Amino acid sequence: MSAVVDFPVKPEARPYLDVFVESASEPDWLRRARRESVNRFAEAGFPTRRRESWRYLDLRPLEQHPMLPLVVGQPMGIPNGLALDRNAARIVLVDGRFAPELSQLDLPEGVWFGPTRQAIIERADLVKAFAADDGAKYPFAALNAAFFDDGFVLEVGYGVVLDAPIEIVHLASGAGDASLHTRSMIELCAGSRATVVETYTGTGKYWRNDFALWRIEEDAVLTRIALVEESGDATHFEDIDAVLLTERAKLDAFSLLVGGGTVRQEISVAMSSANAECRIDGAFVVSGQEEANIVTTIDHQAVGGTTSELVKGVAAGRAHGAFQGKIIVREGAQQTDARQTSRNLILGRRAVIDTKPELEILADDVKCAHGASVGELDEAALFYLRSRGIPSEEARRLLVEGFLAEAFDGVAHVGIRQHLLRRLSQRLARLEEWS
Amino acid sequence: MLQITNLHARLKDGREILKGIDLSVEAGEVHAIMGPNGSGKSTLASVLAGRDGYEITSGSVTYQGRDLLDMPADERAREGVFLAFQYPVEIPGVNNMYFLRAALNAGRRHRGESGLDAGQFLRTVRSKLKLLEISEDLMQRAVNVGFSGGEKKRNEIFQMAMLEPRLAILDETDSGLDIDALRLVAKGVNELRAPGRSIVMITHYQRLLSYIEPDRVHVLQDGRIVESGDKNLAAELERRGYGAVGDAA
Repeated sequence: MSAVVDFPVKPEARPYLDVFVESASEPDWLRRARRESVNRFAEAGFPTRRRESWRYLDLRPLEQHPMLPLVVGQPMGIPNGLALDRNAARIVLVDGRFAPELSQLDLPEGVWFGPTRQAIIERADLVKAFAADDGAKYPFAALNAAFFDDGFVLEVGYGVVLDAPIEIVHLASGAGDASLHTRSMIELCAGSRATVVETYTGTGKYWRNDFALWRIEEDAVLTRIALVEESGDATHFEDIDAVLLTERAKLDAFSLLVGGGTVRQEISVAMSSANAECRIDGAFVVSGQEEANIVTTIDHQAVGGTTSELVKGVAAGRAHGAFQGKIIVREGAQQTDARQTSRNLILGRRAVIDTKPELEILADDVKCAHGASVGELDEAALFYLRSRGIPSEEARRLLVEGFLAEAFDGVAHVGIRQHLLRRLSQRLARLEEWS
Repeated sequence: MLQITNLHARLKDGREILKGIDLSVEAGEVHAIMGPNGSGKSTLASVLAGRDGYEITSGSVTYQGRDLLDMPADERAREGVFLAFQYPVEIPGVNNMYFLRAALNAGRRHRGESGLDAGQFLRTVRSKLKLLEISEDLMQRAVNVGFSGGEKKRNEIFQMAMLEPRLAILDETDSGLDIDALRLVAKGVNELRAPGRSIVMITHYQRLLSYIEPDRVHVLQDGRIVESGDKNLAAELERRGYGAVGDAA
């Protein structure tokens, strides 16, 4: 089937437009949203390298070999060691679709937690807020809006404090050489608190293209941890739109990127109210031919906002890592306190890391600091460890682990921090190119 | 234990630093190598420990019958060579205990022994910490990070006590220490004196030698050992200075 449209369609978008089918079982507003989104994507196509936030990734392979949305998935289980506490509330999405047999939805009064498909029926009010996408911010978010299968929605009511972390596990079977699209939302009402741990993994070749909207109200705190351990043949794109809606809203995010052929995570935070607080920390390890790209935009729109950002990266082999962090301080955002640090380590001569901090400051009474570095392992430290009998490769691993560990300090939940550090250790144990 | 014969070494830029060192250290002996700044003392320590950046142009070093220069630095350490650094390196992010256990177990694996379990390890750590009066809190920090100068030097001797080397080279371990710290370090070293263990102390001053009595004292000058003697040579040097040594020899 070929859709009839009244605008020029970008050639790389054509295959996606061709497979777009409206589902009669979906409500009108959703069908309309999907139609609009697919049109916007067809018109805009893939981002080019001229677009600043996409300049470090090579999208040509994806352009030349379309990965159409998955039709039939495959059941799979959670790999050993990847999940947290077994009793935690959990949604498992296999190939982008809710897997009820692996999930556990029990949460206290005042919390709505379930797959996006269920939310479309029960909580249309929430889903309408993030169903449509004009693709202006993230080109692939429009593609996602057209094709998303499922996702999750978490709404934590006024003053509800969830101490135990909520876990979301995204599994991909690699079936059908396809793309997977989930669309999710987290909404924290005033005074509430939640910790969400999202883990991504899979086997074989797939393109994950996820989108999420997070809305945080006054005095609410969202802690979000991402562990990305995708298959070596996978492409992982993740676009997140976070809005700190009202006063003293707080976002605390940490991402560990340790697996995937091409991994890109973009988080965009709008601090639209006074005294909001945001921390985005992260660490990545790439080797072989892998690419990882962390893109953040933090937009201070109101007075008294605080931002702290620490991202550490390691690249080995012929891998490529990139960090792009933009902090905007608008005219009215006086007394903003923003700190951004990007520290990177290169192992060997053929790995590359780009780091690009960017400050755009329009207010005059602010404190903003940023630092970026790309270096090599400290030879003096390496010799010190070796002089105590530690074999060269183990010494390098210790130093790399030590270098990255600092980025984990902000993960307050001890169990989660230890879990992440274990995953990091295992990633480094698999690393083969140490120099 | 250690046999150095006509050792010549130069820096990568071609400057020759060691110009024919001959030195023989028997098991159980403590030797002191003294000399003015720039005489090649630290270079000798670095070359013995296997630090990069030096080229051996001639000569040989035999350690327990094996060619020491042929072994990578980490293998030398596993074979029982220990260097106490003049400037211990700070390693942010690497926990002291974790590091120590990795080092200890690397040596044990090398000798075909099993790794220490957590309990045994902790007991050994505690007893040796006591010996050097090091607070256990320091062990929970990153290696040498936030340590005072004296704590760093004591940490070197503590590591030596943990690793129980056969050949320990102490590179200016006394520099920068106040008298109390010096006493502690000396006490630690003296406790480690053993029939099967040799110690080479490199120092600028005679001070350390009044706490750790050497069997032999050597004077290094311009890349050569110009004079050797018993412990009395150190006191004599203190009196007459290094300037006169070359002439006397």
